[in-house]
Amino acid sequence: MSDKAKTKAEVRIRPKEEFNFFQDQRVRSVFYQLLTAGIVGWLAWYLVSNTAHNLEVRGMNTGFGFINSSAGFDTDFKLIDYTPGIGTFGDIFIIGALNTLLISFLAIILSSFLGFFIGVLRLSSNWLVAKVALAYVEIFRNVPLLIQIVFWYIGVFSLLPRVKQSLDLSFGTERVVLNNRGLYMSTPVPGDLFWLTLVAFVVAIIGAFLYRRRAHKLQDASGKQTKTLLPSLAAIILLPLIVFLVTGMPLEWDVPALKGFNYVGGTSVPPSFLALLVSLSIYHAAHIAESVRAGILSVNKGQSEAALSIGLKPGKVMSMVVIPQAMPAIVPPLISNWMNTVKNSSLAIAIGYSDIVSLFMQTALNQAGYAVEMVGMTMAFYMFISLTISFFLNIYNKRVQLVER
Amino acid sequence: MAIVKATKTPVRPAPISETSVFGWLQKNLFSSAFNTALTLFTLFVIYLTVSGVYGWGFVDATFEAENRRECYDNSLTGACWAGVIDWFDNIFYGRYPREEIWRINFGGLLLVLWMAPLWMSRVKGKILVGASVVVFYPFLAGYLFAGGDKGLFMQIMVSGAIVAFAINMANAVVSVLRNQGLDAFVIQSLGKNTAPDKTQRNILLLLTAVTFVAAFLWQLSWTATGVSWTKWGGLFLTLVISGIGIASALPGGIILALGRRSKLPIVRILSTGFIEVFRSVPLITVLFMATTMFPLFMPEGFVLNKLVQVIIAVVLFNACYMAETVRAGLQAIPKGQFEGAHTIGLGYWGTMGLIIMPQALKHMIPNIVGSFIGLLKDTTLVSIIGLFDILGMLRSISKDVPWLGLHKEPLVFGAILFFIICFAMSKYSRHLEVKLSAGRKH
Repeated sequence: MSDKAKTKAEVRIRPKEEFNFFQDQRVRSVFYQLLTAGIVGWLAWYLVSNTAHNLEVRGMNTGFGFINSSAGFDTDFKLIDYTPGIGTFGDIFIIGALNTLLISFLAIILSSFLGFFIGVLRLSSNWLVAKVALAYVEIFRNVPLLIQIVFWYIGVFSLLPRVKQSLDLSFGTERVVLNNRGLYMSTPVPGDLFWLTLVAFVVAIIGAFLYRRRAHKLQDASGKQTKTLLPSLAAIILLPLIVFLVTGMPLEWDVPALKGFNYVGGTSVPPSFLALLVSLSIYHAAHIAESVRAGILSVNKGQSEAALSIGLKPGKVMSMVVIPQAMPAIVPPLISNWMNTVKNSSLAIAIGYSDIVSLFMQTALNQAGYAVEMVGMTMAFYMFISLTISFFLNIYNKRVQLVER
Repeated sequence: MAIVKATKTPVRPAPISETSVFGWLQKNLFSSAFNTALTLFTLFVIYLTVSGVYGWGFVDATFEAENRRECYDNSLTGACWAGVIDWFDNIFYGRYPREEIWRINFGGLLLVLWMAPLWMSRVKGKILVGASVVVFYPFLAGYLFAGGDKGLFMQIMVSGAIVAFAINMANAVVSVLRNQGLDAFVIQSLGKNTAPDKTQRNILLLLTAVTFVAAFLWQLSWTATGVSWTKWGGLFLTLVISGIGIASALPGGIILALGRRSKLPIVRILSTGFIEVFRSVPLITVLFMATTMFPLFMPEGFVLNKLVQVIIAVVLFNACYMAETVRAGLQAIPKGQFEGAHTIGLGYWGTMGLIIMPQALKHMIPNIVGSFIGLLKDTTLVSIIGLFDILGMLRSISKDVPWLGLHKEPLVFGAILFFIICFAMSKYSRHLEVKLSAGRKH
């Protein structure tokens, strides 16, 4: 009996595996990795050697020397000083990059505000408002962005009145005018002592911040609530204003004026900029609205009911209970939307706004012909932006997770 | 003495505020002064929009005209749909020869028929149906669209596609009518249902082979006229690019996703790098890379046409996005499934192929439909690099002499067309999501 049991037990024990070269997990793992690396390496070598050979046969230039050579073309929109013929391809790269960043930054801000607004409207108790918000989201999400961009450019901003019949957006003062050549705005020109106003502004903000922190501490310690919003706002507005008036209003306006066939002075942006900004904002607002809605819905209903039952007002329930809990669900899709905004701003090329793709990857490439370098630099630019944004997103996610548990 | 109510209290009707239209209106539109104001304001905005659009698009619009001037003669403020109507064929088929357009329609019809059994509940073996579409349909459709001489390979693939299609159709018909598979039906009608399995299998194989030979001989009797890819365009080209894009992005995405989750560091790093690079740059830069750099990558004298360059770029780009979809799908599979598969002695590929992927893929279908919508919208970008997809065609209307400067109407038409397609698909994917998650309560 005991003998039988013993043999059974022995049978159950797995015999010690003998080392088998073809079955060993480590050997196989090394083999597959070497195989992958080999295939990828061979492919890379194949493409690189083909490219090198083709470049040589076609007599194309290589290397990054072109960055310092002068570019002979101009652009209609630039944030830095640049003269065609003197400015270099490096300058062109910087102009394009800055233009991309500018339009993305503005579009991100506009689309985030609009998106939050529409997202909250989607949950409105007013049936009609909720349905209108839904229609907005569905219409703008389901039409390709490129069609929207081209439509805004050709169908709206190019059809604006001519320079002589410009639309005045500043109620008859001609400080902001809009026509088919773009938007012309007055620019503030700071005088001698204007920096004092800026200092006052910064001081007021720091003061308001400290005041708020003290109020919070007081509330934590004693339960007493102090009003912070009104005094802070007053300080932030009044202090710089007083300094501004005392120093004798050292600020002048550079107003665009109609000279000859066009407006001169102030700042101007071309219609392509406006079309891209509007369409990017509208398109991404629709996407952001959906993530805001999903985020708010992800907060348990009991949370807002509990908050209401301890007597918080609906506005405070939203701002102090629901939104803070919804944020961890909203922020990751929000940021990936921001990333998409940066990437989609490259569609500028369809309407000729001088972003990095249309300026550097198309115009400059057609002129100078450093295909590999220029495509590489443009892609590297986008990768740098994406990596930076996802770096901050990761930090945020870690912080949120720590707070949660 | 207890007081007992002898009769039942009659049920009172629900308060009027709950049942009538007015109650609903009061609750949802006019619950407070602020809400009333909001409703009225929204109604006003809706009225302005709808009346503006209606006036422009219908009341003042011109539907029949020879050129844009006639539209203006008819009405200055209305839309000129005549230009869009005049270009209808171009918008849908590009410059494809008019007498050959039936081939495109026929190809589309084949796809619809081929995939229809996937939605029939009685049809068994849906994986086989799906696989036959993915493996054979591209060749049949590719030959239908491009035409020209069939090489031996193409002859075999086209015959294979015909056989697969015929079997699939016969199977669907038999399944619906008799509620049994085609194989069982054939065996039964031959009276061989008591024969051993091996004999049955041999009979079926023999029949398939006979059909294949018949199809092969039949397809030798005809050839389709060659149509150069430069003639392809319009919505047809958009669908071809996005169709190939999604069909090849799926296997590519699965491989990349498995690579990214692999335990082998080199494989993991390479996959992750590849995915992240393509995901962090805009599609337009990838398309530019394709058109400027692919010619340099190829050995001397080897020329890829632009359509192939674009398709490669779209596939690479979408495989990386698909990889993230697949990865999310894999992450949703409970760990117990992996452990269970290991326990019954399956290796890596057995675990993935038999246990994990079938579950993950099923639940990824809504996301895959979502990716397809995104891809369809993104495909409009190819118009920037000079292919005449639907947007390219819509924009060339304004360069056609009779319709010079007609920009708005074609774009609005394109927007409506895309809206209908994408909205319908996204509704369907949401419906699928609900349906699939209903059966997934664990």
